[in-house]
Amino acid sequence: MYSDLNQRLKADVRLEEGLQACMNCGICTAICPAAEFYEYDPRSIAITVQSGNEEKIAALLQSDTIWYCGQCMSCKTRCPRNNCPGLIISVLRKLSQETGAFIKSRMGRQQYLIVKTIGANLLQFGYCVHPTSLVPATHPEQGPVWRWIYENMQEVYASVGANLDGDGPGALRKISDKDLDELHQIFEVSGGLKLYQTIEYFSQRKAIELGLTDPNGEADMEKYTQYLLNE
Amino acid sequence: MNNKHVAVIGGGIAGMEAASVLARQGLKVTLIEKQANTGGKLNDWDHLFPDFSSPDELVNSLANKTKDSGVNTVCNTEISRIERNGKRFELRANQDVRFFADAVLVASGFNVFDATIKEEYGYGLFGNVITSVDFEKRMKKHGQLHTIQGTAPKRVAIIHCVGSRDAKVGNTYCSKVCCITGIKQAIEISEMLPDCEVFCFYMDLRLYGSKFDSLYLQAQKRHKIQFIRGRLSEAAERADKSIQIKAEDTLQGRPLRMTVDMVILLVGMEPGVSTSQLIQKNQMTVDENGFLKSANMHCARNQSTQEGIFMTGTAICPMAVNETLENARSAATEIIHFFENRRP
Repeated sequence: MYSDLNQRLKADVRLEEGLQACMNCGICTAICPAAEFYEYDPRSIAITVQSGNEEKIAALLQSDTIWYCGQCMSCKTRCPRNNCPGLIISVLRKLSQETGAFIKSRMGRQQYLIVKTIGANLLQFGYCVHPTSLVPATHPEQGPVWRWIYENMQEVYASVGANLDGDGPGALRKISDKDLDELHQIFEVSGGLKLYQTIEYFSQRKAIELGLTDPNGEADMEKYTQYLLNE
Repeated sequence: MNNKHVAVIGGGIAGMEAASVLARQGLKVTLIEKQANTGGKLNDWDHLFPDFSSPDELVNSLANKTKDSGVNTVCNTEISRIERNGKRFELRANQDVRFFADAVLVASGFNVFDATIKEEYGYGLFGNVITSVDFEKRMKKHGQLHTIQGTAPKRVAIIHCVGSRDAKVGNTYCSKVCCITGIKQAIEISEMLPDCEVFCFYMDLRLYGSKFDSLYLQAQKRHKIQFIRGRLSEAAERADKSIQIKAEDTLQGRPLRMTVDMVILLVGMEPGVSTSQLIQKNQMTVDENGFLKSANMHCARNQSTQEGIFMTGTAICPMAVNETLENARSAATEIIHFFENRRP
């Protein structure tokens, strides 16, 4: 599962852009917002990938580390060698998803939730986040104001000039079936759908490993979702 | 050879030293300087590394040498064009002034990196961010260092590699002299203000020269200067005019935020502007860093790619004062060989 990682990383064109030669100066970590809050050090990630050490790269793919990056790309603006650790992270994440290494870490396992929410929203609504999908019961962190907005959705969005689920132009307008079909095709051709399936496949295996199964011994993804939310 | 005439462009220390060596060998030498005085950038420096000696004394002794050896020094004159005429050269300056020479030595020096280009370090925006050149000028003029509020700084950060080894500003080369300049200035601050904490932020300490490492040791042992391995990502001014800086302490693997009273940027060397004008008009070539290119890096360092045009000092690449003087003497030797080997 974790063989030829170096070669697979280098096959991604983003690595060519992201890692030319790192001199370990730490300016990326110094500008990185994530590094201020987490045990996270983009410099050491760049050095690990540059070292080509298969064991260390495999460990990265299975770690929480690669999921802390917010993809703000501040690192790109500073690097004196024109590297971009944010892009290195993108490549590591994709490989972690493809190899199933993501199920080995708590942050990595969240990929399943993201596919089921943002991933599904994209294909269903044409929006990453849609007002109707942000249900107060599953998003208590949004607080009482959000609950009020959610319950008075039509009036609230109309009052700010949005065109929620309506035909024609405007923010939050309904995306036509024709456009959604095109979006679906893009995800199919570009490998996005396959990546969704891969994430689901490995997540099901993790659910079984954890004993989160139905009476037939199949993965119970409702239970797994609850597990992830409480993890 | 005695009737040969050499024109030296640039009256900094490289030009002065080469001119006096050539004149002592019996050549006719004209030293042409665009400023009102010879001495170049050293006129602004307060102390030299690694021995804290006086640049003024050095410049004065070089001025005496050029005078005593019979060099014709012409100031306030900037050469804009060198024209080859058979085996001779015609140099044109401002106000239709012309010089004729059998060989030309370009000693046009370097430019200091413009720190405002690294906007994220706040030079020109925040009063307490200064450059290493400003430090020398202030020390020379006032003999003391104070913040924009007029107080003695209690904490100073010295930032290495500003404008050097940085693809973002287009300078990927090392300016070589900044590391030791930083250590020298850190020691000076510490001696002047014993209660002041001084931090040097570096990537690699490139202390290649004789006595450089012992100065580093002295800075750590005697002056308790702290060296933090990490490149600054940005500086921001706080309400009280102190400066907050961000870096990673890469040896600890931790991001670091620190508030200091002053920041000193160790600005690097860039190819001189006047050099680039000469190059355009005379088909002289430059290397990948924009400095004048040698005919051969090892055995013809002072020969340009144009026969009869030589170069010396920081017009070739960043170098320290002692290296510049050595290089000037080597240029003089190459010019003498050039005349000796040339058929009459």
